Amino acid sequence: MSSDILLQARGIRKSYYVGTPNELEILHGIDLDIKRGEFVSIVGQSGSGKSTLMNILGILDRQTAGEYILDGVDISKAPNKSLSYLRNKHIGFVFQTYNLIARTDAVSNVEMPMLYAGIPEKKRRQRAEELLEMVGMAERMHHTPDELSGGQKQRVAIARAMANNPDIILADEPTGALDSKTGRLVMDIFHELHEKQGKTIVLITHSNELAAETPRIITISDGNIISEKTNGGKGVA
Amino acid sequence: MIKENCKLAIISIKANKMRAFLTMLGIIIGVCAVIAIMTVGNSMTADVKKQLEGYGVQNITLYVSQIDWNEEISEADMENMLFKPDVLHKLSEKFGKRIAGISVEASVDGGKVIRDGKTANVNILGTSAGYYKANKVKLINGNSFNQYDYEQGNNVAIVSDKFIEQLYGSEYKPENLLGKEIEINSMEEYINVTVVGIYHYEAAGQRGGSKNITTNVYIPLKAAWNITHNKDIMECVVVAAEGENATVLSEDIKLYLTDAMATQLGDKFMIDAYSNQSMIEENTKTMNQMTMAISMIAAIALIVGGIGVMNIMTVSITERTREIGTRKALGAPDSMIMLQFISEAIIICLIGGVIGIVLGLVLGNVAVHFMGYTPHISFASIYMSVGFSMAIGVFFGYSPAKHAAKMNPIDALRYE
Repeated sequence: MSSDILLQARGIRKSYYVGTPNELEILHGIDLDIKRGEFVSIVGQSGSGKSTLMNILGILDRQTAGEYILDGVDISKAPNKSLSYLRNKHIGFVFQTYNLIARTDAVSNVEMPMLYAGIPEKKRRQRAEELLEMVGMAERMHHTPDELSGGQKQRVAIARAMANNPDIILADEPTGALDSKTGRLVMDIFHELHEKQGKTIVLITHSNELAAETPRIITISDGNIISEKTNGGKGVA
Repeated sequence: MIKENCKLAIISIKANKMRAFLTMLGIIIGVCAVIAIMTVGNSMTADVKKQLEGYGVQNITLYVSQIDWNEEISEADMENMLFKPDVLHKLSEKFGKRIAGISVEASVDGGKVIRDGKTANVNILGTSAGYYKANKVKLINGNSFNQYDYEQGNNVAIVSDKFIEQLYGSEYKPENLLGKEIEINSMEEYINVTVVGIYHYEAAGQRGGSKNITTNVYIPLKAAWNITHNKDIMECVVVAAEGENATVLSEDIKLYLTDAMATQLGDKFMIDAYSNQSMIEENTKTMNQMTMAISMIAAIALIVGGIGVMNIMTVSITERTREIGTRKALGAPDSMIMLQFISEAIIICLIGGVIGIVLGLVLGNVAVHFMGYTPHISFASIYMSVGFSMAIGVFFGYSPAKHAAKMNPIDALRYE
């Protein structure tokens, strides 16, 4: 079952106001394969449908039509109930706005996905501490989000995304709210995860510059994939 | 899981202390009112019960009553409403050991005894042998009347220690009065009786004031009849033997007497009987019902408090929509989201409930104290309040929590 293809999308369409006169189709049939261990960037301008695509790939939203298979599981046929399990075990999210839980310290934030996975408290804590060390946040482990800078928050969020050792990390404009220096730091962590741990990472961005860093670049415009190219090297800009 | 949820709930409550407190206030007031009312009600019930028990749980009062109260009764009918001595004798024989005695009393009149300028007010009462048991009169010196006294209607008397104290002072030894004759001034006549026994005077009321207490002077029933020339027995008290259920016995006696006095009763009268036992039961029941009814009104405050909890949960969930979205993105199942918010509602209610119980107990006990009853804490009401406030948390937390759990993750994440 562990085929090379981790994620397979076929003819993905997403419409809003389905059936009404002002029905709006955002995605017009996306075909996409992502292999295990790939670092892919999806680039597009705002309104191109890249975030909608990410939400579908992250099972936060369901497609209107088309087929989406994640690690051999046909999502379109999976019952609603099992979606939370799939998100928990297979996907790690990194959001532009970090989305850390307020009033909860960094280590507890990282523990959260493991709590929902039913991992015992001691093990959770240990792994959360390891992950925070990996992203260089060991010293600020017990600080709450409002005591952390943007870059620090995003590093905690990456640690959280890694908590259950997911198949794929979906990062939606992870550096969008950061200055270039801290943005660089965050990108370096992604590169490290990809190279050292062989993580599959999907980076959604509007910046061609960032996209150029990744081995594979998919450009999306008006709900269609308009180009796809592979980068020989990692080409740090 | 439960521990985690409690932690989360406490973090969230701490983050909004004032809001949580105001929400709790409704629960606090509701629980406080219920507990205070229950405490007062229970204390009153217990007190009244104790008082009634003092009159003898085993006493059954019998009398003849009219079936139709609108009907006029003639002189002859009046005669038919009285108990005849021989019927009571037969009753006593028939029920044998089931009854400890039959008390019949005949009130003569009030009177006074004067000695050396000191006055003791008395009330002369003719009694049958069963009277002492029925009224729990404790003889401390001398003897009660003998068979002969009762049959002949001798002028002998049993007086109280209080009476002796009133006339002879507290240093006088009561037993010295035994065999002496006293003169009672009553109905502008002098009645001379010989003291044969002394009983202990039990203060009936709460208040002291020993000066003008009127005590009973007991004489044999027949002696009283001789003085008043009136042998009517309007009512009598049967004392049920130890271990006998007074309520059951009273029914049996009623049946027996209805039969034995059939010709006399005709279709105009019937035997009525009530026992203190049944009165206590009745009373406790009524009091409990009253307490419950008032508590129910107080419980409305609790429901209003519950609605406050629901309101605040709705606000809290709306505020934290993004958090809910994030949790869902991290893989929280619906049930966990639901549990998180229900736990929060329960904890708010539980904290409010505990504060309410403490305040209610204080308030109830203070009220009971000022009303002059003995405090009687109802543990049932405490358990009930804890359970009830938790139930309110679940009930009023359910719908907002369900709403949170059913949120679409992407909509929740995008919520501004």
